[in-house]
Amino acid sequence: MSYTFTILSPHDTPLFTHTFGTSRSSGTGTPAFTTADLALNPFIIHSALDIVEEVQWGPSSTSGSAPMYLKHIDKYQNNFISCWITGGNVRFLLLTRPRDEALGISAANPSSGSASSIYSTGSGAGSVRGSLAGGRAGLGGGAGMYNPTSPATEEAVKNFFVDVYESWVKTIMNPFFAVGHGDVVKSPVFRARVQAAAKKYL
Amino acid sequence: MSGAQNQPTGLRYPSNKKTIYDRNLNRTKNAELSRAAFAYLFVEMISYAQQRVRGIADLEKRLNNQGYPLGLRLLDLLLSRSSNPLSSIRPTRILPLLQFIAQTLWRHLFGRPADALERSESDASQFMLYDNEPLVNQYISLPREMSQLNCAAFVAGIIEGVCDGAGFATEGVSAHSVAEQEGGASAGGGMWPGKTVFLIKFKQEVLEREEILGRGGG
Repeated sequence: MSYTFTILSPHDTPLFTHTFGTSRSSGTGTPAFTTADLALNPFIIHSALDIVEEVQWGPSSTSGSAPMYLKHIDKYQNNFISCWITGGNVRFLLLTRPRDEALGISAANPSSGSASSIYSTGSGAGSVRGSLAGGRAGLGGGAGMYNPTSPATEEAVKNFFVDVYESWVKTIMNPFFAVGHGDVVKSPVFRARVQAAAKKYL
Repeated sequence: MSGAQNQPTGLRYPSNKKTIYDRNLNRTKNAELSRAAFAYLFVEMISYAQQRVRGIADLEKRLNNQGYPLGLRLLDLLLSRSSNPLSSIRPTRILPLLQFIAQTLWRHLFGRPADALERSESDASQFMLYDNEPLVNQYISLPREMSQLNCAAFVAGIIEGVCDGAGFATEGVSAHSVAEQEGGASAGGGMWPGKTVFLIKFKQEVLEREEILGRGGG
């Protein structure tokens, strides 16, 4: 799985961006985005801001408070967006791009190991790959598929956001950091903190 | 400098090797500032704001601007401290936000909640927050020609920062002395000569949003 994490100011200025891969299940932590993906990701993230503004005030039945963690809010093709909004209306957006297998794009059978991967490359898997319609149809069922609303995924993303939020609050406590003026986070320590949280939870 | 070798970015660490990211956000209760130190600092802030200032309104505006970034920061700091961080919540309606200011923010700044919170009867977008004895005004005596001034404009700036940061844009928050407006005979004026009211006026779009959210019914 590959991730792009962006912090956006209340005026939609990107303050911090970090792209990384999963460190779970023998992942190396390097993202598998192509150059085209990397160019497209900012657009996907910015388009999700409309959804954030729709859901950020919460259902009207709430007692006047809403959680900061808005969970999975948007999906564009095979990219899933999760959001955390701070008290000061700074948005943390995490774009998740699962591996093709987890989307059912390359029709590998997870139960039969390496043999099936050889088999699938030989057979008609190539025709399924690249077909977005087929990939999305495959999302509906089957174990091992990526599901953005599963409790485990939500919890992992939440833990990641909680860690980043703590570092973020420490950043804005810096008297030399002009909060609300679109000041970009340049601290290498902050980046290291985000990397550590990503490695730990995602 | 051993730190310079493994940090090619030119980042300089404090001598104890602790960056702000290594420090705990939850200070203990006895980490309060002495009142004398605050009063001294605040006097310097006022005289700084007073340099080349045109009038009282200008001076109050400058004090307000000094408080504003504090509000933006305190909003997130206090929200992250308030409860279990795993269930972090933020105010999305006007009343919870004002409660947050009157209770949480006031307790953090002054060690006690604000004295009263009222909604204006004539103007629905206007709220009044009362403080009988503002800490910031405790050691300030105004000269006769500046009797209009209320240095709690600094606190008003903090309130404005909190409201703006939370997405509740205001037309401005201002501090006024109650006693001088209503005369010493009225309620509060006699007992609390320093009684101050903070007028919070929300923008129209905030009220519209509030109405839409309230009408949604869930």
